[in-house]
Amino acid sequence: MRILTLLALALVASPAISQKDVDWILIQSTLTYHMSHPMHQVDGVSHAARGKGICHAGQCDFLIAAPVKSFDSGDTNRDLHMLETTRGAQFPMVVVRAHFPESETTESTIYADLDVQFAGQTAHYSHVAFQRTGQGNQVHIAGTVPATCSDFKIDRPSFLTVPIKNEIPIKVEMTWKSS
Amino acid sequence: MIRGLIRFLVTAALLPLLVATSLLAQNADSSPSAQPPLDHASAQQKGSQSSPLPNAPAPPASSNEPSLSDLGFTTQQTQGDPKLQATLDKRTTMLRIHQKVGLITAIPMLATLITGPMAKAKGKNGQPIKEPTQANLDFHAALGGTTTALYFTTAYFAIRAPRIPGSHKHGGTRVHEALAFIHGPGMILTPILGIMAYKQESAGEKVHGIASAHGPVAVTTAAAYGAAIVAVSWPIHWKFWEKQ
Repeated sequence: MRILTLLALALVASPAISQKDVDWILIQSTLTYHMSHPMHQVDGVSHAARGKGICHAGQCDFLIAAPVKSFDSGDTNRDLHMLETTRGAQFPMVVVRAHFPESETTESTIYADLDVQFAGQTAHYSHVAFQRTGQGNQVHIAGTVPATCSDFKIDRPSFLTVPIKNEIPIKVEMTWKSS
Repeated sequence: MIRGLIRFLVTAALLPLLVATSLLAQNADSSPSAQPPLDHASAQQKGSQSSPLPNAPAPPASSNEPSLSDLGFTTQQTQGDPKLQATLDKRTTMLRIHQKVGLITAIPMLATLITGPMAKAKGKNGQPIKEPTQANLDFHAALGGTTTALYFTTAYFAIRAPRIPGSHKHGGTRVHEALAFIHGPGMILTPILGIMAYKQESAGEKVHGIASAHGPVAVTTAAAYGAAIVAVSWPIHWKFWEKQ
């Protein structure tokens, strides 16, 4: 009887043991937004993002956040205008939640569903492709989030009465380390 | 004549300032910054996508998902600052007026430069001097007065725009502001020298003494002003053929 109980316990416990949680920590990142205007092509870069990821029960949930004011376009006035336009003082963080199947963590391309919180709005992006290259327990992720101004109800700034392009793609380059 | 010119310059200086001030007042009333700071909460509730609290992350779907506090950001970093947002809004409104009036100023400034030679007595020493017509002199003076008035209105909106604490100036803005140390004194000197030159010309004299620097000072001022416009717009990539 005791042996049967132990066997039953072992059977119940085995899936839990096999699906061990994997934690990921963002160790290095470069986020770059690109803004287009007939007279200007501007890239704003931030290295201040922090992130954490947990893979549990076959599903990975990642959280990445960066202060809006950490983006540097090379000009103070433009950065402050960006902060004003995106209501960056009222909503100081850009927060990204990524979800994808755990099985993709070993693939060369990860297709993630993203929820991006920015400028007081949340936009959802499905099936965004990220290229994965790995070395040891470190993984390098690169991709582009196809963000637009209208996704976040941002009034497009204009110069000489011509507004910037609606598309503000955000190039993502990150290095993650697993525990 | 000189009194009339001074009266004209003062009137020309005050009119655009009054117009611009009323413009600013209108903008401030319609801008979000004019609303009480707490209004943002009600605005956020309008859209289903909006967060209930300033920048509050959507609650994790499950307890396993990481939260913003796990990332080590301080509350100060993650909490919204409506007061700062209002300051940024006011700053943008003022700098937009600065930009518009500044670009408008470039038009009479250019016209003043073009009409400059027409308002100058011509002829070498020892030869008969050809005096400019009074109409040419007055037209040039009127353009100069308009430029001066618009210039100081432009400067007012840049100087009075609120400063943002913790922002360190770099890039084109820095060059733009540095050039103001050239065109700023230039725009004070040019009209003074212009009035002196006007006085001499009106008295039938060829412009002499320090007044003869009116032209070179004006050209230097205009060049610095033009460079300031280019600096703040730099780098320029002409891509008008791209679809917006």
